[in-house]
Amino acid sequence: MNSTPTLLNRILITILGIKLLAVGVLLMLLASVPAVAAWWHSWSAGAWAGVNQAFNATRLPGRPESWLWILVALALLVLIGLMVAWAAQQGKGRANLLALEYDPGEVPGDVRIGGGVAEQALKHALANRPDLAGATVTTYDVKGSPALKVRLLPRQGVAPHLLADEVYALVAALEAVVGKRIPVLIHIGAGARTRFSRAERVR
Amino acid sequence: MSRHQEDQSPDMGRVLRRETHSTRAVPAIAAAVLVMVFAAYGLLEAGVHAIGQPAWLIEPQVAAERLVALPAGIPPLLLGALGAVLAMFGLVFFLNGILPGRRARHLLAGSPDPGGPAVVVDDEVIASSLARRARLAANVTPEQVMVVVSQRQVVVNVRPTSGVPVERDSVLAAVESELAAMALDPSPEVHVNVAPSGVIGA
Repeated sequence: MNSTPTLLNRILITILGIKLLAVGVLLMLLASVPAVAAWWHSWSAGAWAGVNQAFNATRLPGRPESWLWILVALALLVLIGLMVAWAAQQGKGRANLLALEYDPGEVPGDVRIGGGVAEQALKHALANRPDLAGATVTTYDVKGSPALKVRLLPRQGVAPHLLADEVYALVAALEAVVGKRIPVLIHIGAGARTRFSRAERVR
Repeated sequence: MSRHQEDQSPDMGRVLRRETHSTRAVPAIAAAVLVMVFAAYGLLEAGVHAIGQPAWLIEPQVAAERLVALPAGIPPLLLGALGAVLAMFGLVFFLNGILPGRRARHLLAGSPDPGGPAVVVDDEVIASSLARRARLAANVTPEQVMVVVSQRQVVVNVRPTSGVPVERDSVLAAVESELAAMALDPSPEVHVNVAPSGVIGA
């Protein structure tokens, strides 16, 4: 429902996993197989010589340091920035506007209905039910259009389809009030609050 | 209503797919933090080196030479263990990335109208609802029924009270009628196991 970049997550996690796996397997082989150690010596010595030469060729005028270090530092800074941006994308997508429409009536203008209207109304309607241990309602922005997510935590033994039917009626009433069809996702879930609370006995 | 906004409802199929599959947000954040820690350390050493100060932990030159000489200079057991730990972390990330990551959830297909709300139910909720129904059909206490719901099957385990036989078929019929009322997607098939031994004093 939120706009977590799932495909990007998959790709980046897979890349990181392959890299860590490759390094780990290489270390294990180095420790156990002498032939790999010989190959590693010849290959890494060549690579290190090349890197060394690059650093020697790029010394700052008049100083022993290479300016490649500054480039490395900048590249790492960019990498850190990208990682922060990636982590900040997780779980984004909350919205606070439920409806926005132009009303050309007697007083022309825009009508905006905040997401709090639906959230408060549904939450209040669900608050005192004995078969629910909790309910949260959030407005999300799904590809530019608002949608509601109703998360219900029923007590143990509650039939989910009957609960869903009752929430359908609430949503229909809300749609009648707002005057617009709202895409709604109902998530009937379980959590620590439902697992350790008493079962609902009478219904 | 001259400028009526056209109905641009979001693609519910896409939303439902996202709800029933893991977003991998937790491994993603772990990976980002891991890369950030390493990059910050590298940044520190690179910056320190660029301005000609002594290194904080290890001179990059020395580190590289040790890497080149690798099987020497470190006990092979330690090296192997280090490799195994790294490979294990790598495997966890890799599998998180490529496996389907399906969550233990089902869709309720019994919506009254097609444009109405879509419903996703955790398997745990389905299991506790079925357990209640099976318990009533078998006339036993809640502790004597265990229900396991997975993607394609429901297993109901009943331990009868000693001396009071439990009819397997009536439990099966009760659970199946409850499942039919739920109209789950994908719809699982039901297996009822009645334990051969009963419990005493229930």
